[in-house]
Amino acid sequence: MSTEVVYVLAASAVFGAGVYGLIVANHLMRKLLALNVMSSAVFVTMLTVAGTTPEGPDPVAQALVLTGIVIAVAATAFALALLVRLVQETGLVSLRAKDDDGA
Amino acid sequence: MNGAIETVGLVLVIAGCVFYAAGTIGLLRFPDVYSRLHALTKADNQGLLLVCLGLAVLAGSVQVAFLLIVVWSVGLVAAAVSAHLIARHARHAGEPHASRETER
Amino acid sequence: MTVGVVVDMMLGLALVALSLRVVTGGSLFRDIVLFILFGLLVALSWARLGAPDLALAEAAIGAGLTGALMLMAYRSIGADTEERPVRRRPGVALVVAVLTGSLVAVIGLAALGIERVPDAAGDAVLEALPGTGLGNAVTGVLLVFRGLDTMLEMAVLLVALLGAWTVLGDARPGRVHRVDRRTPLVGSLLTVVAPITLLVAVHLLLAGTDAPGGAFQACAVLTGCGVLMVLTGTLRPTAVAGFATRLLVVAGLAAFVLVGAGAGFVGHAPMTLTGTWAVYLIETAMMLSIALTMTLLFARARGLRGEGS
Repeated sequence: MSTEVVYVLAASAVFGAGVYGLIVANHLMRKLLALNVMSSAVFVTMLTVAGTTPEGPDPVAQALVLTGIVIAVAATAFALALLVRLVQETGLVSLRAKDDDGA
Repeated sequence: MNGAIETVGLVLVIAGCVFYAAGTIGLLRFPDVYSRLHALTKADNQGLLLVCLGLAVLAGSVQVAFLLIVVWSVGLVAAAVSAHLIARHARHAGEPHASRETER
Repeated sequence: MTVGVVVDMMLGLALVALSLRVVTGGSLFRDIVLFILFGLLVALSWARLGAPDLALAEAAIGAGLTGALMLMAYRSIGADTEERPVRRRPGVALVVAVLTGSLVAVIGLAALGIERVPDAAGDAVLEALPGTGLGNAVTGVLLVFRGLDTMLEMAVLLVALLGAWTVLGDARPGRVHRVDRRTPLVGSLLTVVAPITLLVAVHLLLAGTDAPGGAFQACAVLTGCGVLMVLTGTLRPTAVAGFATRLLVVAGLAAFVLVGAGAGFVGHAPMTLTGTWAVYLIETAMMLSIALTMTLLFARARGLRGEGS
């Protein structure tokens, strides 16, 4: 088993955990954490399945992932701003209405 | 000669790892915030110093050695300030003190 | 099986365990902290995969900055909104778990089955790199070969900031839970750390042309300093964006456009970057732009002003 194979398998499991969290979690911030976990898994997969050059992993894939990391932070920051506004307006941290909670 | 230098470097790095392990065990096993901070800051700073020294010896370049010293001192500042802030907050929040608990 | 692969396996298992804990755990605060830890372990895996540029960026941006943003938002939505236990029927969660489990298996198999392309774009990059005067292939791709992508990335960052400003509405800038600077050590921390971060940022920027580093890593370090200054009250969030703030926020995008258009005037194809001076110019503008954007996003403010003014 090589280093790449280990990380591809780990990344697919991490991605699965992220999908599970995105669907099952109630709190929007936890959904955001799950999304970020998923994006990390995607980045790791992208780099490992890209080819390698004599100087390490494919630089094009590295640049793509680097761009992706920064975009992910920007998107997260915007989503958090939306979340804070949602809490200010409605007092809710999930998308379901109060009496729709199944309680 | 080269082999001897390499051995010294490796021994320093491994000794640093032992300090890190001790600090982590302290973090997990100690009873309250204050003694955990004590374990973390003391042991980990020592561990970081030993790892940096070992790496400097292994790298065998003055520039890298200087950079590693900078890394260590910045780590020291960060550890001191964050530990101080955590301890101060814990004290203000009335975090219980394990030894006083047992004295009662 | 070498020692390295054993380390990889431990790291991989830790990543999986942490991600499961982050998505299913009970205490949101603890899970945000665990998410930061997850990011640091991802940074370690980048180092293991031979991508130090990504390791630097992931540790500073992916783990540090995202974590700081999350903790800040957690503080402002308040601990009283702490998650109640999930009321969803356990059957639903089980079905989702089974489905995602099979998804994992499919993705894993598919990813393992992907064949490496014999001559990928990376080889072409390494071949053309000496002509650019750059030594770091990743910086070469980001600024020279795929500069358009990076330019649009700056546009995305700008849009994110504008979006956050819109969502902020007329609300006063978020109250920042400040550390009192009269607290021993905190004041002196800034006087020690601020010059060091500036030095490290410039070093990363300059080193980035030949070694791991570059504008993204440098901006992350500067943002760290900005966050620290907001937290200690040295910089106070304001509700109005001044002219300098607006200028600095668009500086990265503007530098790209101007240098790109300028290349068209002096006879090159438009939007091609020539010479390391263009790279340095654009990277500096990008670093300042992103650092200010991120600090503003962190403080949820339109502008920042010094303590005295």
